[in-house]
Amino acid sequence: MPVEVETDGALIERSVRGRPDAFVEVARRHEVAVHGFLARRAGPQVAADLLGEVWVRAFAGRGGYDPAYPDARPWLFGIARNVLRSHWRAGRAAEHPAATGDPAGTGYPVAEDPWDDVIDRLDGPVRSRALRSAIRALPSAERDVLLLVAWEQLTPAQAATALGVPPGTARSRLHRARAALRLALAAGPAEEES
Amino acid sequence: MTPESAEPDLLAALGHVDPPPPGVLDAAREVLWSAVAQEMLATGPASGHAADVGRSESAPGRRADRPPDPGA
Repeated sequence: MPVEVETDGALIERSVRGRPDAFVEVARRHEVAVHGFLARRAGPQVAADLLGEVWVRAFAGRGGYDPAYPDARPWLFGIARNVLRSHWRAGRAAEHPAATGDPAGTGYPVAEDPWDDVIDRLDGPVRSRALRSAIRALPSAERDVLLLVAWEQLTPAQAATALGVPPGTARSRLHRARAALRLALAAGPAEEES
Repeated sequence: MTPESAEPDLLAALGHVDPPPPGVLDAAREVLWSAVAQEMLATGPASGHAADVGRSESAPGRRADRPPDPGA
């Protein structure tokens, strides 16, 4: 008889109802994925530094989790994103105390949009200048949805949960982002860098 | 390769990261265990009834009718 595996939602509910240690299994299930989320955006060293903070914030906020959602990844990625934003905000504020506001209309204050740093750090086996330029040019809100789907393997609905936006909004942002990338790749073939 | 077919592959390649060393995951879990232990010490042995924990980062009424919110 197959053993029924508790969903993340059930574990989180149990951790709220007198068994806080049940939450550790949720962390164990998703630690590689959450570390990957952080490492892709901030590098492995920062990811190592911030992963514990993600768990502590998630543990502290688990009372607000709806256990009807079996997969906690979207929620955890949302928390990881907030932890990263705090990290970037603190770092940029220290480097550039005057960098505030949102002149580019990206939805992120200057001090929180780290994409130039992120893209400079990307070092995959295929390095496409055209693609990286296209990603860099995307509005942050569209880029966030695109990368949650492409990198973290979320569905558009799950990406919406991670970002705290309606599913239709996430889908339209994803559509626009993909269209922009297709245009960019069609206009300038990917250049292989050595 | 068409731009359409190239996009997912190139994106995935751009997002490649090596798996973390086990020590990194262990260290983060230790941080979590500290928080868990603190709460267990504060609330005493498992009581079997709902503990009102973690409400500070969530709004009332979120459960059941809204997706989980990762917080501000």
